[in-house]
Amino acid sequence: MSLEGKLALVTGGGRGIGKAIALKLASQGADIIINFFRHRETAEETAREIEALGVKAETMRANVGDPSKIEQMFDTIESKHGRLDILISNAASGVGRPVMEVDTKAWEWTMDINARALLLCTQRAAKLMEGRGGKVVSISSLGSSFVLPNYTVVGVSKAALEALTRYLAIELAPQNICVNTVAASAVETDALKFYFKEGLANASHYLTPAGRMVAPEDVANVVAFLCSEEAFMIRGQTVIVDGGTSVGLFAAAGKGGE
Amino acid sequence: MTVEEQIREIVARITRVDPSIITRESTFKDIKADSLDVVQALVAVEELFEIEIPDEEAQKFQNFGNFVSYVESRVSKAEKV
Repeated sequence: MSLEGKLALVTGGGRGIGKAIALKLASQGADIIINFFRHRETAEETAREIEALGVKAETMRANVGDPSKIEQMFDTIESKHGRLDILISNAASGVGRPVMEVDTKAWEWTMDINARALLLCTQRAAKLMEGRGGKVVSISSLGSSFVLPNYTVVGVSKAALEALTRYLAIELAPQNICVNTVAASAVETDALKFYFKEGLANASHYLTPAGRMVAPEDVANVVAFLCSEEAFMIRGQTVIVDGGTSVGLFAAAGKGGE
Repeated sequence: MTVEEQIREIVARITRVDPSIITRESTFKDIKADSLDVVQALVAVEELFEIEIPDEEAQKFQNFGNFVSYVESRVSKAEKV
């Protein structure tokens, strides 16, 4: 698999899963634009790590929850590069609250960043992919299909993201743009530490049949495959990367009875 | 309005408290601001003053006064340029 000469935008690419994806795509030869919002230092550090791999890297600040900031970011990409080959819609945020405490502010903040950003970024990216095709991969979560504690609004936003992925995949198929999403279970990142702090995560929920937690690189490997020509016939899918957690629920319950 | 007054107004609007209860010694906890309130306040202040407040800096704010002082120093720097 080679991505030599390709240009990829990774939203939220400065740290966590986004960083692992940016490094993986860079290792295959792609030039990387790292979008970040709150953490400039880590984004610039990641850019330096990417450049050390021998490809080009740049950082762009934008809150993808704000449509005008998405417009500005793509205006910059358009005037500077005039093209884009890969969009990784990874940036995410969320408010960990039980369902009865979710208010409109938490709902809108999370939906805007986690779901609407995929729509708005893909609309702009598709124009930059015109005549050349492209790949769009977003990052979802098992919380779209399964109930996790205090995860309501994030889970709902990821369900919207997965549905949107199917619509985008079909409507953009004639332009040779492949759209898919990768749904991970709990991944060892700073964001997870935050949720632990907020009382959201409980390690026992994430004991996986594969014997360890999912690492950012596990997700990045699948994303990189979906960005390759070998994955050309995969469209509108949610690929689950969870070490078997979701299909092993009842097997795990059985263990408790032994 | 001073920088402090403008920031107080933003924080009060986002956290839905009366601006008069926010003093320089108030912590985000005192005014019951959750993590989303804090981020939204930072974003609103960034846009108003056209500055960037990285999380690395924001995490150092112990109270409202620290927040105001940081923004004041950034704004005065920008004016000198």
